[in-house]
Amino acid sequence: MVSLLMCAVLLAPEAAQPQPQPTSEQIRFFEANVRPLLAEKCLKCHGDRKQWGGLRLDSREALMKGGESGAAIIPGNPGESLLIELIRETDKDVRMPKDGQLTRRQIDDLGRWIEMGTPYPASTTGTQHKRDPNHWAFHPPKEQPLPHVKNSNWPQTPIDRFILATLEATGITPTPRADRRTLIRRVTFDLIGLPPTPQEIDAFLADESPGAFARVVDRLLASQRYGERWGRHWLDVARFADSNGFDENVAHGNAWRYRDYVVESFNRDKPFDRFVIEQLAGDLLPFDSETQQHEQLIATGFLSIGPKVLAETDQAKMRMDIIDEQIDTTGRAFLALTFGCARCHDHKFDPIDTADYYGLAGIFKSTLTMTKYTKVAEWHEHLLPSAEAKATKADFEARIAAKKKAIAELAGRGDSGAGLQPARNKQQDDKAGSKPAPQIEAQLKKLKEELAALEKEGPNLPSAMGVTEDKIVDVAIHLRGDPLKLGEVVPRHAPPVLRGPPVPKFSDKQSGRREFADWLVDPNHPLTARVIVNRVWRWHFGKGLVRSIDNFGLLGERPSHPELLDWLARRFVADGWSIKSLHRMIVMSSTYQQSSSRSRETSGENESLTTSAAGDPDNRLFSRADVRRLEAEAVRDALLATSGQLDTTMGGSLLKLKNRAYFFDHTSKDLTTYDSRRRSLYLPVVRNHVYNVFQLLDFPDPAVTSGDRATTVVASQALLMLNSDIVMQAAGNFAERLIADVDNDDLRLTRLYAIAFGRPPTPDERRADLAFLNRVEQAQSNGNTDIQRKKAWSTLCHVVLASNEFLHVR
Amino acid sequence: MLSRRTLLERTAVGFGSLALASMLADESSADTPSANPLAAKPSHFPARAKRIIFLLMSGGPSQVDTFDPKPLLTRDHGKPFPFAKPRVQFNSTKNLLRSPWRFRQYGESGLWVSELFPHVATRVDDLCMVHSCYGTNPSHGGAMMKLHTGSDNFIRPGIGSWVSYGLGTENANLPAFVTICPTLAFGGVNNWSSSFLPAVHNGTALGDASVPSEKAQVKFIQNSKLPRQIQQLQLDRLNAMNRRHLRQSGGDASLEARINSFELAFRMQSSIPQLEDLSRETPATLKLYGMDDPGTANFGRMCLLARRFAEAGVRFIQVTHNDDKVQWDQHNNLKRDHEKNAAEVDLPIAGLLTDLKQRGMLDDTLIWWGSEFGRTPTAETEDGRDHNPEGFTMWLAGGGVKGGFRYGSTDDYGYYAAENKVHIHDFHATILHAMGLDHERLTYRHAGRDFRLTDVEGNVVHELFA
Repeated sequence: MVSLLMCAVLLAPEAAQPQPQPTSEQIRFFEANVRPLLAEKCLKCHGDRKQWGGLRLDSREALMKGGESGAAIIPGNPGESLLIELIRETDKDVRMPKDGQLTRRQIDDLGRWIEMGTPYPASTTGTQHKRDPNHWAFHPPKEQPLPHVKNSNWPQTPIDRFILATLEATGITPTPRADRRTLIRRVTFDLIGLPPTPQEIDAFLADESPGAFARVVDRLLASQRYGERWGRHWLDVARFADSNGFDENVAHGNAWRYRDYVVESFNRDKPFDRFVIEQLAGDLLPFDSETQQHEQLIATGFLSIGPKVLAETDQAKMRMDIIDEQIDTTGRAFLALTFGCARCHDHKFDPIDTADYYGLAGIFKSTLTMTKYTKVAEWHEHLLPSAEAKATKADFEARIAAKKKAIAELAGRGDSGAGLQPARNKQQDDKAGSKPAPQIEAQLKKLKEELAALEKEGPNLPSAMGVTEDKIVDVAIHLRGDPLKLGEVVPRHAPPVLRGPPVPKFSDKQSGRREFADWLVDPNHPLTARVIVNRVWRWHFGKGLVRSIDNFGLLGERPSHPELLDWLARRFVADGWSIKSLHRMIVMSSTYQQSSSRSRETSGENESLTTSAAGDPDNRLFSRADVRRLEAEAVRDALLATSGQLDTTMGGSLLKLKNRAYFFDHTSKDLTTYDSRRRSLYLPVVRNHVYNVFQLLDFPDPAVTSGDRATTVVASQALLMLNSDIVMQAAGNFAERLIADVDNDDLRLTRLYAIAFGRPPTPDERRADLAFLNRVEQAQSNGNTDIQRKKAWSTLCHVVLASNEFLHVR
Repeated sequence: MLSRRTLLERTAVGFGSLALASMLADESSADTPSANPLAAKPSHFPARAKRIIFLLMSGGPSQVDTFDPKPLLTRDHGKPFPFAKPRVQFNSTKNLLRSPWRFRQYGESGLWVSELFPHVATRVDDLCMVHSCYGTNPSHGGAMMKLHTGSDNFIRPGIGSWVSYGLGTENANLPAFVTICPTLAFGGVNNWSSSFLPAVHNGTALGDASVPSEKAQVKFIQNSKLPRQIQQLQLDRLNAMNRRHLRQSGGDASLEARINSFELAFRMQSSIPQLEDLSRETPATLKLYGMDDPGTANFGRMCLLARRFAEAGVRFIQVTHNDDKVQWDQHNNLKRDHEKNAAEVDLPIAGLLTDLKQRGMLDDTLIWWGSEFGRTPTAETEDGRDHNPEGFTMWLAGGGVKGGFRYGSTDDYGYYAAENKVHIHDFHATILHAMGLDHERLTYRHAGRDFRLTDVEGNVVHELFA
């Protein structure tokens, strides 16, 4: 042992030779093939936490320094490198890694990497680089030339050039295009969140002319259903909910207006920069019409719909908690950065100081979110002035006046002798000793109660959650986040680490939300465009170019295709921040249109190339399409659409509670109902108690920003599909629909498969399904045959609706 | 397509993913069944307790009326509280209010118990009382979330989910964390959700506080319309369809996992109701839990279910005492309602302790009795007390803690924790310690940071352990 250690020490000086600057090609190879391999297979035991055998593999220096058995590698010489020897070893007791041999391909990759001189660019997630102001995400996206590719036939949009360049560099051939049925099902769910109808599929299959797929895409993007699908994606980011959640779970009776605003914005393809400004500072923007004014006021709901501890007894803390929530959500949603840490201490990893946090806090403290901080606290709402609202208000005031008049008259009558005087207050009357007659007193009491009830109910004018301006202040640093321990006052400012846009100037006339929003959408901003482009990519592909969707900071992941991300961000800005143009660019790409097939056979054209399944097992390089389960809303919408029950009415509220009423109090009774046939995004979103069907299907916690929903597989999901009313009812309705549509089992089967799967059944499937129907019918054995047949069809539809083919796109 | 690791982390094929793990294992020999996220995992060090039963008295029972007698409070009744009241209070309170109940010493240990808990009093030699608990939040919502998750201003995993994550389940066909009739108010689901921990560690709820325990069910556990025979036919057809689809899709681990999850779900449909079926319990046992008396039957059933889940290998079982009001929240009617509340739980709790002891399970089952806070020794109304997170009593029993032991104290009037203070974080650290888990090592990386139940706080109270 001692000698081995000595050996390592003696080798050390030799290891000091500097690492030659790796080429971008080499970096790409390393990031695509080697770093993930080291991370997955080696670093658990030879990284920053454990160093078995004294060996670390997390830097080039560490590899060359080696461990107890000497240097792990000799750069440029894989044959002499201990690392290669150990991973090739056949004796299981000696071989590395301990938990299973690497594949041929992985061993070759490591060999190739050592051969090219072992380039090991520092990982930006390494602790030694924390608080690094040079982190890629803090600098504006660079102009990127389209890469050269060998297979010039494959690319259909510029995206493909970037994707293919990486695949060619790593020797992987992309997967062939998916068939047309698969494509139309994929793109229809993707863009509008519903299955394609049999007619839509037939039309696409029949259209042999060029541009057939582009026409499908245009049709989908023009559909109102599109905004409902993509608006819902944004609502995940905006942590949208119809209830406060937290301790006092009261109704956000007007949050739906913000939801409708988002849907409408997506449908109109509102430029994203405008969308950002409206949500942060819509109340400060000029307007040309009442409609526009309302829209802009409603947009500021973004800042108000977060969860708040409304019974917090420490009011100073409550105020700072609400500001904290606003800073954190704004930071995550638009910048994919976590500012929350800096409330109490300088951010440990990103170069954001407490001073930067309180520089932002000043903006939000100068903004009025709440009208009352005493428990139970109340949030501000914008009145939406309109002719209709004016009439409602006038009507209400008239009713109040009428009641008051009636009371005055009655009181006057009771107060004998002073009948013509306007009613004085009751105390004076009492003191005067002139008590009204008992029946008048009773009437008076009733009237007064009615008046109080009316006043309490209010005129119920159209209003929207949102923010407005407050007293303009700069905020002092709260030491360790404590509102009682104040440090130095910091002027409002944007975090200086983010380079590119000119430094915004804040006036003492306005909160600074407008200036902050303008700064965010400056074309040179390092993050805003990259972050939204990456989100859209994630929603199309199931994973981002940066996989840590909501964290671009030093602890986030590096982009798998940094040049593509920059190119897309710049192109997005140049295209006027149009989300629909971005969709077109993506779905028209060969990358998007690949099949999900994981065939391990090479195409034969080029022996040196390997397939997606073998070379890119986790599909990090987008070398095929992923099989993806539908999101919660799409599952429910597909159930309704398939069974012919979907109601496509748009907008409005399905809440049965009044604004600010309790969803639940201590009784734990959930009075919310979900028995609507409307699209899922219109169902109430109740924090602390999300609709159980959605909760089981990975609906995100609506209290926090979430750009990257999980997809879990839990047995309780299977119970939901087997036993819940929603699935049973859909199956029953689906069966009725089939029986009404066509009158024999063969045609019904054709129709069943067309509606649910978008394809005809195979002869085997036909046989199996008919046998199933007969068996179920026999098992029931009593009663009317028609009813039995209907029940049998219903049980078959149930199976289809629970099947993987129905619940996944590929 | 997910990576295998991600898949296994995200996959909660439930309640028994051993089968999944072994099914996936043929893809590569590297993964052993231990890759299953719910498989039983070794603790950090030898555990004293293998499982926990948490008896939550929702609303805040009063410490000075139950387990923490204060002679000076009786003497100075009606006088002003002689120390400063906390800067932040929930409501304002007036002068000192003596307890309407008498206290007596019990057992060999001579611990004090008020006449509210005559049955629990007979078990005091098993109890380990912590009189110096304190929290930071005087509202039910904040305090409940603090009690469960250690945080009152962020959504974090609850302690049951952390224990599930740390230790897995001993029974591959059951979840590691079950919560019986939880309240949906005051944080609701957040108090038993896994938050950023993998979904497999979510608490499995049996009903909620709005249903009697007799009707408490796991969601969708049964199909009222389809006979089992038809369901079996459906499952067979479904399996065939899914296998074909799997081949067509070129193989995908999450599709395979879903296929398996249906078979497990189908088995669960019989295994969970079996656990809930009390028909094979002896009359003596039923009586022990007060099942023969309508006043105690509801909570008694919860306690008995807790024992059955504990026997079956569930790690963390929570039982919530919460009626259609906030059960123990006596801002007024203290006398009437504390008596009613105590009467509902006293006998069943004593029965649970006795039953576990008889079965030899008390040694490695930790019982935790407590609530989100206590109550003020000062009067909010003539017959009522306000919320008080500044000092209150929780107790433990079994699971390697000292019996007949008292730790810490409040001031002479029972308002503030005074001696050997135990914050909620300390309490959490101590409970994890009993389970063989080091609260500083039980971490999960999320959003770029390693999170803990105890955040950056928490000290184990070693003195509690025998």
